[in-house]
Amino acid sequence: MLDRSSSSIAALIQPGRVHRRVYTDPDIFELEMERIFGRAWLFAGHSSQLAKPGDYITTELARQPVIMIRHSDGAIHVLFNRCAHRGAKIAPLRSGHAPRLTCCYHGWTYDSDGTLLNVPVPEGCARSFDTRDFALTPVPRVGIYRGFVFASLAKTGLSFEDHIGPMKANIDDLVDRAPDGELALDAGRHRYVFEGNWKLQVENVLDSYHVPFSHASTVNEKGEQFARREGDRHGAAVVDADKSRTAAPWKQRRSYITGNGHGWTSNTQLDDAKRSSPAFDEYRRVLAEKLGAERAQQILTPRLHNSLIYPNASIMGLNIHVRVINPVAVDRTEVTVFPVRLVGAPPAMNFGNIRLLNVTHSAASFVQTDDLESFVRVQNGLRSQAADWVDISRGLGEEEPDRELNATRELATHEMVVRAQYRAWLDYMQQAA
Amino acid sequence: MDPREFEAFLFHEARLLDDRRFRDWMELFTEDGSYWIPAVPEQESPFDQASLFYDDRELMKTRIARLQHPRIHVQTPPSRTAHLIANIVIESPPLAGACRALRDICLERGDAGASLADREAVEGEPPEYLVSSTVIMVEYRNDKQRIFAGRQQHRLRREGGSFKIVRKRVDLINCDSAFEAIAVPI
Ligand code: FES
Ligand SMILES: [Fe+2]
Repeated sequence: MLDRSSSSIAALIQPGRVHRRVYTDPDIFELEMERIFGRAWLFAGHSSQLAKPGDYITTELARQPVIMIRHSDGAIHVLFNRCAHRGAKIAPLRSGHAPRLTCCYHGWTYDSDGTLLNVPVPEGCARSFDTRDFALTPVPRVGIYRGFVFASLAKTGLSFEDHIGPMKANIDDLVDRAPDGELALDAGRHRYVFEGNWKLQVENVLDSYHVPFSHASTVNEKGEQFARREGDRHGAAVVDADKSRTAAPWKQRRSYITGNGHGWTSNTQLDDAKRSSPAFDEYRRVLAEKLGAERAQQILTPRLHNSLIYPNASIMGLNIHVRVINPVAVDRTEVTVFPVRLVGAPPAMNFGNIRLLNVTHSAASFVQTDDLESFVRVQNGLRSQAADWVDISRGLGEEEPDRELNATRELATHEMVVRAQYRAWLDYMQQAA
Repeated sequence: MDPREFEAFLFHEARLLDDRRFRDWMELFTEDGSYWIPAVPEQESPFDQASLFYDDRELMKTRIARLQHPRIHVQTPPSRTAHLIANIVIESPPLAGACRALRDICLERGDAGASLADREAVEGEPPEYLVSSTVIMVEYRNDKQRIFAGRQQHRLRREGGSFKIVRKRVDLINCDSAFEAIAVPI
């Protein structure tokens, strides 16, 4: 049994290393669901998924079924997907349209804000029965920034502003690329699953160290990855031409942290001046027409590779998408990857993004599949009891302040971001109810 | 038109995949050929929605170069597969000719084989056929076995004594589920 005291949890994390149990112990996983996913601001969905009143999507937050629905007044509600009568899941589909939600079991009917409207055979209800006591339970806290809907299962805790605030610029970076200034997550989704702990995926999204090795099979004779953006001729140089060493520009990449477990990696310089294709050129023209050439140029100068909004979401600026990480069990994790449509961009540009995301982040992609293999192998390797510690010490002590960005930075092939995630992890995990 | 010709071609294609002769498999496609596995049932288009696979020849080439790379971790050890192709139906009457534009319309629509016959044939173009079949692929790797199943549709162009694939679409019955890594084409 796990000792839930603050001191024994603290003993799992040491400078530059974490105990293997954080990945393998089912009791720790249960505690994470309670203390991290049960409290943190979790990405729940995007307002564009609910185009009109009555539109809903369903998802899981901390393994609990929830429904995100647009009410007749336009407001977005996040409700537990559980009938107030005897508990049946109200909305059975991943997405749909239902201005009224009717339970399949005894037919209780709710409004799209969760209010109980109708109970069949009302004369049978207890004398004290009041429909107002039987609304669908709302998730305690909801916050929205530029369409990104976050929800917290805890009534109190870090405010939305305090949690998401430092990452707003990263959300802006993506949203601003849409000529109309908004995104739509309406281009389907990729779903993949792996037999490994959720933190393996979270740690990986900002890991620049693994790329030349894990993704060796995506690199050509010149040491360059295949093109991952519309209009590019080739991708980033990740290894030297003789393939023996990580390429110099790759080693220059930086990673950044801002507290709360969040972080991001800077972009590797690609041949941005030469980026061109009919779709991209048209997109650039539309953007400049709407926002002026200078602003368009600014937006098209890439700054961010991937951003992590701890603990369950990442936003990628290279081949653009939003990714959501859903822990299922200590050794099972489901991930959903949403392509983003840049509203106002030419369809061919959006198609270019969708097409390339198919080969980078689908379950059948060239890139993500090798990461999944690594996650599964880590989960397997950690069954070994030969050593207790997992090393995350690269660059320990070399972190430096970036006053301009109000962040702390380090070379991206170091492991500062992972250490920062464990600091946030400890903050959540050490707090009893 | 002998239905056994189509059967022989589909069996040959399946055999190339099972034998991991991916380059030879790619050569079955026309230069402008495409390979599509939608991510939702009845997906209308690969252009505005995510797909599990939507490869033109260029992406196919990258995919296959990777499959033959010594350091493709997700194929170490490699998958072994067995394809079963059955319930072959020739969906449309043979077309005297079919032009590229016509094919693109079909692609955009997610296809409607029957309507093709009504369209005007283009003089001098080789005939194209729409053939659908049931595919079951069993994959074994690393002590695990799993099954992919669905309906597949080949648009085939007569070329010499055989066919070329203009488009292959596979509609998996579980296309919208969460998959563990998929490395080999179906
Ligand atoms: S459980 Fe929903 S109406 Fe009875
Ligand atoms: Fe990776």
